[in-house]
Amino acid sequence: MSARENILSRIRSANKVGEIRDAIGGAVEDRLTTHPASPLPDLTWNDTERFKQRCEDAASTLDEISQMDDVPEAVSRYLTENNLPTSLVCWPEFKKLLWSKSNVEAEIRSALGDDKVGVTGSYCAVAETGTLVLLSGQEHHATTSLLPETHIAVVRRNRIVKTMEEAWQLIRSEVGSLPRQVAFISGPSRTADIEMTLVYGAHGPFRVHVIIVDS
Amino acid sequence: MRVGLFVTCLADLMRPSIGLAALELLERAGCEVIFPENQTCCGQPAYNAGDRHTARDLARKVVSEFSDVDYVVIPSGSCGGMIKTHYEDLLGDSPDDEAKVQWLSARTYELTDFLVNVLNVDSFDTSFQGTITYHDSCAGLRELGVKEQPRKLLRSLPYVELKEMPGAEQCCGFGGTFSVKYGDISSRIVDLKCDDVESTEADALVLGDLGCMLNIEGKLRRRGNHKTKVLHIAEVLTGRNGEETE
Amino acid sequence: MEITSQDFKAVSGAKLKDEKLQKALFQAKDGFVVSRAKVIKDLDNFETIRQAASDVRDHCLAHLDEYLEAWESQAKASGTVVHWAESYEELNALVVKIAQDNQVKKIIKSKSMVGEETGLNKYVEGHGIEVKETDLGEYIIQQAGEYPSHIIAPATHKSKEDVSDLFAEKHQRPRLEDAEKLTHEAREILRPHFLDADMGITGANFMIAETGSTVIVTNEGNGRMTTTMPRVHVAISSIEKCIPTLDDFALMMRLLPRSATGQVISNYVSMTTGPKREGDHDGPEEFHVIILDVGRTRVLGSELRDALRCIRCGACMNHCPVYQNVGGHAYGWVYPGPIGSVLTPAYNGIENAIDLPNAATLCNQCGVVCPVKIPLPDLMRKLREKQYEKDLKSKTEKWSIKLWAYLAVRPKLYSIVTRVMARAGKMLGGSSGQIKTMIFAAQEWTKHRDLPTPRGRTFRDIYVNNKKVNKR
Ligand code: SF4
Repeated sequence: MSARENILSRIRSANKVGEIRDAIGGAVEDRLTTHPASPLPDLTWNDTERFKQRCEDAASTLDEISQMDDVPEAVSRYLTENNLPTSLVCWPEFKKLLWSKSNVEAEIRSALGDDKVGVTGSYCAVAETGTLVLLSGQEHHATTSLLPETHIAVVRRNRIVKTMEEAWQLIRSEVGSLPRQVAFISGPSRTADIEMTLVYGAHGPFRVHVIIVDS
Repeated sequence: MRVGLFVTCLADLMRPSIGLAALELLERAGCEVIFPENQTCCGQPAYNAGDRHTARDLARKVVSEFSDVDYVVIPSGSCGGMIKTHYEDLLGDSPDDEAKVQWLSARTYELTDFLVNVLNVDSFDTSFQGTITYHDSCAGLRELGVKEQPRKLLRSLPYVELKEMPGAEQCCGFGGTFSVKYGDISSRIVDLKCDDVESTEADALVLGDLGCMLNIEGKLRRRGNHKTKVLHIAEVLTGRNGEETE
Repeated sequence: MEITSQDFKAVSGAKLKDEKLQKALFQAKDGFVVSRAKVIKDLDNFETIRQAASDVRDHCLAHLDEYLEAWESQAKASGTVVHWAESYEELNALVVKIAQDNQVKKIIKSKSMVGEETGLNKYVEGHGIEVKETDLGEYIIQQAGEYPSHIIAPATHKSKEDVSDLFAEKHQRPRLEDAEKLTHEAREILRPHFLDADMGITGANFMIAETGSTVIVTNEGNGRMTTTMPRVHVAISSIEKCIPTLDDFALMMRLLPRSATGQVISNYVSMTTGPKREGDHDGPEEFHVIILDVGRTRVLGSELRDALRCIRCGACMNHCPVYQNVGGHAYGWVYPGPIGSVLTPAYNGIENAIDLPNAATLCNQCGVVCPVKIPLPDLMRKLREKQYEKDLKSKTEKWSIKLWAYLAVRPKLYSIVTRVMARAGKMLGGSSGQIKTMIFAAQEWTKHRDLPTPRGRTFRDIYVNNKKVNKR
């Protein structure tokens, strides 16, 4: 018998299938298709406010603008204010924006090891934890939010959901099956492995800047 | 109300004034106190040593000794926790025992819990004067939920100021046989506890479990601290100093 | 990994005297305990959520075969290659085979405790393949040639000075003193490896049956790198890591980071489902998952079953008074602290870790912080019972208990003996009221502390006497 068969049959006999199992109940099929919700904490906050608060708690910085066309300007402002390089790579969804008008040199491609700034969109964002939800895909290069020292993420206000559960619900209804990677990002990369001292920029970005767009 | 007093083997042997104090507190509150004279030990040392068989014998003995009272009251969180939360594991596999154990466990209370939540006694007027810091015993706190009860009683004393120590809920490192089997680890843990106690500069450390008492008092004295009194809460509530034998 | 738990007494004794370690442990304890306490307040119904998580884990264990099959069929559908391993050797060999099939020369690795169990790095290196640990803590101890002392913070036993010396020597660069600079130097050194490694190995915090995904939870981003950059990705996991649905995962994520590091959420939660898709610019061409069962099914069918609910948050060790003072290495295997005291004997045989279940005060601080409500003290006690049954307990302890019990069921004799002890004890203490030295097993007590003396009479004697007096 294969390892697989051995393991599964050991599980069945350990579980005395028919005894312990039935006592606990709840059919597997059922749970997998209906994915029942678990108890939630109090969620009565305002979603945008909560999201912003939690982003700040996670050491992200924030900006709010009224329309997509203003993204290059907001990006440029952030980069200059922080003395960061103004050449960047971004996702294809920002191809049409007038980057050069804001003195930003934008390339539409996935990031490489020495790119300094990466601009991504986000599939949605979770208010409860201040988290960006990024789905990998042809148009959504995973490296752009990972390799550069600065990650700038654009979040549409109407895509801020309350909880991770709501994010899953959205993905189930809009996307169907999961992409290769769903990345939940909450603030810049960090570690406290040396004497519990918090340091940003362990392997991923040193800073995450979130731009919330109204429409 | 017939209240059975389980005085615990440690208090019986090492510090009878705890038993006398508990007796006095219950009688003053109008209870008819029964002390089954054949009582010895709840079986916890055997249980925690993995000697289930012996633990069972002792548990059965306790169950039968306290079968005709309305309540069982114990001036110790760990023996209380043993009866209330572990006897079922020990005796639960015989349906006959199980019923008896459930009956007993529902009636078993740690002393301060009983005073506050059953008898609704909430103030005392004893002469103890000074600052007190209270150590939560692990079993009392985490098995029986004893936290506010003793503090409520202590706060009611007219000349007492309660001063919380940092880490009041942290284990003192006693752990029964642990204290001798892993003496150096136990010693380090109780050293830290003594630091916390001393940091409050309280006149007395008060607690509800004799195991922790012997451990912490023994360590304080070994460190050369002869000043901080170490008292059981029942002793404080009845104005005892822990020394008397009559 | 080789098990050295039988040296617990000697090693823990030495650790208590290691001042550098003591300082590091103190810092870690403060950090973890305080931040967890703060952040659980953020959930108004923490206890309800905790109970729900425990229930989900139980439900999943009760149907583990079905959930694993469901997971497998989803995983395969998304192009994941699924392997099963029944021994450490088998898992290690599978990894090497995958590496060799893909002409892999260099592997980057994100933290995996299962990998520590199997001794994966050593095995893979033995086959001429380079392995680079990338979690900063793991990287530090890999450089130092040590093994983790904590499941979340592997290098928590090391001081900043240790790391300064280590990096200066290994990196051949000027010695740095600042945690930030040290971290960034490691970043700089490791970055090229991320870019040119052929294969990535990660653990898996969870496997989601609904979607056939694996998830890793990190703060550094090394996990995301490892799952994204190399052309082959191998995730190693074990059977009990499976949970039913994405919603169940959301539930676990309310508890895991809070319990582990005191965070509301970890920075990077990366859920992987299959290899690179058509049109994707990044991601591995091959994605393998190896599911291990060593010891797990045995525990599943035993009284220790509850231990399999563990989600490896580390809270039990962070809050354990013993761990806090001796650190993780004393426990002598992969998992330290209370959960280690259960899993080490459970997976390696109880005779190979006699001390662990005994070296605990049963204070239950672990049980009350565990996010999935594992009754750790009860499980340690069950192991003590097993030791007792197998006659593995120390003779002194066994016979002291027997003697005590012999008396305790004979009340008449008991009252005489205790009367004598009370009197003799009082005399021993003299005027100080403290006994300073004792003999036999009791000397361990007085080696470290005084023993407050008995008061000369037992309660029973006084009570009986008073009753007589009152009757008169
Ligand atoms: S036993 Fe509980 S507290 Fe300990 S690591 Fe596992 S989940 Fe966390």
